[in-house]
Amino acid sequence: MKQLLLKIEPVVWLLFGQGILIGTILLTGWILVVNLGVPLGIVSADALAYDRAHALASNIVGRLVLLALIVLPMWKGAHHLRSLSIDFGGAGRDSVVAGALYGIAALGSLLGIVAVLAL
Amino acid sequence: MARPAHPEAMAPAKPGRTRTAPPHRPPKFPMQGRYRAYTLFDATGAVYLLMGFGVLHAVRTLGDGEVAWQALLSGWAAPLYVAFHLLALVSVLFVGVRFFRLFPKAQPPRIGPAKPPPGPVILGMLYAVWIGVTALFVGILSGGIFG
Repeated sequence: MKQLLLKIEPVVWLLFGQGILIGTILLTGWILVVNLGVPLGIVSADALAYDRAHALASNIVGRLVLLALIVLPMWKGAHHLRSLSIDFGGAGRDSVVAGALYGIAALGSLLGIVAVLAL
Repeated sequence: MARPAHPEAMAPAKPGRTRTAPPHRPPKFPMQGRYRAYTLFDATGAVYLLMGFGVLHAVRTLGDGEVAWQALLSGWAAPLYVAFHLLALVSVLFVGVRFFRLFPKAQPPRIGPAKPPPGPVILGMLYAVWIGVTALFVGILSGGIFG
């Protein structure tokens, strides 16, 4: 497992870094409108009416943005939680923790690709 | 007259292991002094991971049809979801501000023949992109653009 973690490290760091940069930039607008604005009635519900939301999400740019919103925060989260685990519990159990966290992020990313393609 | 001693004459046949002190946790870790921001920055990982799955859930629900989509948006008005999404917003702003502050410090002295722009300029550009993309995204999602 340790060898595998070392091998995938460049990919993990790429996704982690973009999770912080692109993930943060995209999540700000998503949270403001989709998670808070519409549910709380600050933004008109018509803005995310089903037909409009589906049209926005199912074009190529929409799919790419949604994929970035799914995949990148997951890898940022997984890697930061691994770092937190090392800080609190030492490196002894790192292989197991990292394997589990990256496994969750990889599974989530796979499900994200399927969900975005299925729209 | 005696010859000068070989400089490595007293060296052991095999170099010994470098002795290092056992690792120990700094006294102010995890929530005092500068460790607080460090720990909280890492802890935002939990929020980001959940947000990734939240967006995944939203996309899958959108694929399930109109009734499911409307139910999802209505459900997000529940206090627990509002509290989590407010926490997510604070986390995202915290991560952005802290991470973008590192960019000017992480620049090399030269990039090929050119010098990187001054720190405040780099920071200004990052904030301009962040605010600009957010404004565009909010505009599109709220119907102000392509409405």
